[in-house]
Amino acid sequence: MSSTPDDSLLEKPHMNPYWAGFGLGLVLLTSFVVMGRGLGASGAFTTAVATAVHSVAPAHATGNAFYAEYLGDGSVSPLKDWLVFEVLGVFVGGFLSGALGNRLRFTIEKGPRISNPARLALAAAGGALMGVGAKLALGCTSGQALSGGALLNLGSWIFMMCVFGGAYAFAWFLRRQWL
Amino acid sequence: MIEYTTTRHNPGVDPILHLWGWEIPLYLFLGGLVAGLMILSGYHILRSRWDRDQAQGHYVTAPLLSLALLSAGMLTLFLDLEHKLQVWRLYLTFRPASPMSWGSWILLFVYPALVASALLTLAASLPRLRQRLPVLARVSESLAGHNGAVHLIGFANVVLGAMLGIYTGVLLSALGARPLWNSALLGPLFLFSGLSTGAATLHLLSHLTPRAGEGSPGFSDALASVMVNWLRPPSAQDGSRKLEQADNSFLTIELALLALFFGGLMTSTLAHQTGARLLLTGPWAAPFWVFVVGSGILLPLLLQFLQAQRRIQSTWVPALLVLGGGLALRFILVGAGQASHWSVALP
Amino acid sequence: MNAPFFKYGLFGDEISLVVAFAIGIGFGFFLERAGFGRARLLAAQFYFRDLRVLKVMFTAIITAMVGLFFLSRLGLVDLSLVYLTPTFVLPQAIGGLILGVGFVVGGYCPGTSCVSAATGRIDGMVYLAGMIGGLLGFAEIYPRIEHLVKATPMGQVTLAQQFNLPYGLLVFAVVLMAVGAFIAAEWAERKIGGKVPDTDSLLAPARPLAPVRRFAIVLVSLGLVAAFAGNPFRGAFARVDTKQLALDAGTKSDHVSVTQLADWIIEGRSDFVLVDVREPAEFASYHIPGARNVPLAELTPDFVARNERIVVCSEGGIHAAQAWFLLRSLGFPAVYLLFGGLEEWKDTVLYPAAPPASAPARDHIEFAKRAAVAKYFGGAPQTGGAPMPASTPALPRLTPPVPAAAPAGVPGAKPKKKKEGC
Repeated sequence: MSSTPDDSLLEKPHMNPYWAGFGLGLVLLTSFVVMGRGLGASGAFTTAVATAVHSVAPAHATGNAFYAEYLGDGSVSPLKDWLVFEVLGVFVGGFLSGALGNRLRFTIEKGPRISNPARLALAAAGGALMGVGAKLALGCTSGQALSGGALLNLGSWIFMMCVFGGAYAFAWFLRRQWL
Repeated sequence: MIEYTTTRHNPGVDPILHLWGWEIPLYLFLGGLVAGLMILSGYHILRSRWDRDQAQGHYVTAPLLSLALLSAGMLTLFLDLEHKLQVWRLYLTFRPASPMSWGSWILLFVYPALVASALLTLAASLPRLRQRLPVLARVSESLAGHNGAVHLIGFANVVLGAMLGIYTGVLLSALGARPLWNSALLGPLFLFSGLSTGAATLHLLSHLTPRAGEGSPGFSDALASVMVNWLRPPSAQDGSRKLEQADNSFLTIELALLALFFGGLMTSTLAHQTGARLLLTGPWAAPFWVFVVGSGILLPLLLQFLQAQRRIQSTWVPALLVLGGGLALRFILVGAGQASHWSVALP
Repeated sequence: MNAPFFKYGLFGDEISLVVAFAIGIGFGFFLERAGFGRARLLAAQFYFRDLRVLKVMFTAIITAMVGLFFLSRLGLVDLSLVYLTPTFVLPQAIGGLILGVGFVVGGYCPGTSCVSAATGRIDGMVYLAGMIGGLLGFAEIYPRIEHLVKATPMGQVTLAQQFNLPYGLLVFAVVLMAVGAFIAAEWAERKIGGKVPDTDSLLAPARPLAPVRRFAIVLVSLGLVAAFAGNPFRGAFARVDTKQLALDAGTKSDHVSVTQLADWIIEGRSDFVLVDVREPAEFASYHIPGARNVPLAELTPDFVARNERIVVCSEGGIHAAQAWFLLRSLGFPAVYLLFGGLEEWKDTVLYPAAPPASAPARDHIEFAKRAAVAKYFGGAPQTGGAPMPASTPALPRLTPPVPAAAPAGVPGAKPKKKKEGC
């Protein structure tokens, strides 16, 4: 047994991006072969939100066409959903990899020139934008860009170009947050 | 719940019995958790040749926590009873063939054992109360000074804890009308699941107990500083590793018992096999494999193994996962058990 | 091998969730390995400091794309069964722009924010909370913008179909484009970001044939092969093996009993399609809950996905048997007959007859269960003389009326949940 004390566990560097991408590609390929579908993320949160709204205000949820699509016929819990379980796995896998690389930290990721509250406010705003954008585009970077990109889906490639376009066009205004 | 006889000779059982909601599984979980805590703290009392100065932070709060949890469990059980005002009648008779009768009598003895164990550790767990009520402090000191009494309390906690843990499983397996529960392994399974959740609770306590002589963390952000506290290595250096190892052995035994449980059912009659398939491939398969086996047993096993090897940071995540897995096991077994039925074996 | 495994019924919905969890673990693991749990590293992409996002994403895309192409070309995977999100040009372009802005504002995308939250990043957790807020808001404005969300629909369409190019050629083009982008990215990192190249990189590796360079060469050569390898999609032709058909028909392995079907419906199983081949008028008067009405003449090769498990039913069974042969010869591999048809359904499921009092106890127990099933479907058990404790005895009727419509609360009456997509 190693005698290293806990506090001196050093953060390990990240993986070479090409090999991480190769691993990610193999996971995606497995999903295609085993399930016949790609990966995703935002759909799980939509299902969770729809379920939560349904339990608080059932009439409101079933009356809304957007929620109704994610609620199903009520014969099984809407949370018994492929993406919900997949995203649970994402949390587990991310934690596992973070633990193995000693990268578990309760910190706020930001550049040196921005305060914590400002960064958190921007994170919340970015999340809200992402929620709207992902639902408008029928998917997020995982479901559309990654999975659809590998399937040569027309809409996914249009989407991907727009994501990079939007981000690069807006990056200059937010340089204080990151650089 | 309407107090049922346990065979199919009553009209509530066919075609499906769905009377138990969230109360019973929660009670079984809390009962198992308390059983595990009793055994572990009883063992600690027996082993450490009781000395107040040696008392470890998280062990001294365990009996008090057990009392609170058991009371919460009893409340859920009481909520589930149909004839709430008749509950005293359980204590007028003792029927050796009835698990409910056994249970109510075991619980009657569990409380004094827990109170005694709480008194023993009172000096360390609630120093302020000790100053306010010198009577309690005197009782506590005289108990702790008496070697025989300390041993008796430790022993009683271990034995009653084991009985309580097994009883939570027997309560289900005695209900012969459900083939899924028709296994003698349910008692030991729930006992070891209770032990693992008990060890996880102690582990969690060791993370949450503030370490003496430590200044406020240097973070300006309140949220971050609270969370950073959770990530610190536990206050007791050695005890926590022992707990991790104990928890891992409990989890391994639990996994083996689960395998035996299903092995037994799958080699039995068609009704038993159909019952087992409810969990293995049927409507309960996803939560069973993911929450009980995956994130409830295998993942904490792996994380605690790596923590014990000092390969990764020690966090409270595995403890939380074990608790979640124990809760899921009770909910899934109670839910699927009620859906399993003998009549599938008919032509 | 018949892949995608799930679509060929190798495992059911429940196990698919376990698979989802396992795949999710792999997904999250590699996202974190790549450094995608940290917003600053992700955002560095947009300032040309560290172009990880591009490298990881496009390596993953071309790996999966090339792998899927060859597996399909070799006939191991039916590419037409891999779910393709339908294209809506306008909403996807606008959504992409909003998402891109959200990416640089928040620092994450939904998948990476899960990983960042799991590794303790507080901004990741706040981001997730913000996303939930965004979804709640979107749901409220949805009725007003529904026309925009569904604007410019183009259906499920690939680049190959749209531009009328061979699929394999596009695969090669994408691989070339990606490798070109990687080289450009490494150049930009050094020029603009001042980053020292990795020892294992394309542009300036420590040794000439670094593993990444070999990997790139392999991918480009596979892409070149793909360009000339032909169409990866399977044809719509199925060879009918008459011997196999005769065997299936003879051994009755293609039968589903009415009680079995009733149990499936009660269990809420969704791994089969019940097809009623009677005329619409008959269908309207009564049908089994959840059944789809497809008269014999409308059984086309694409009326459901070819991997679906199909149960056909008709009034007696003759039309169903004919539909069975029709569907098998159209290349549907899993077709089942409802044995006895709707007549048997009425006799056994809706109006089961009680056994005589002298019958063995097991018959009575079985009847109790059947009686409960009958009530579920809106029928009534026909109790003869034997008193049943489990049910209130109903008066026996000689010609029981058939319930007019499917009773409420039966699965299949309400819309099914959206099953795929992001």
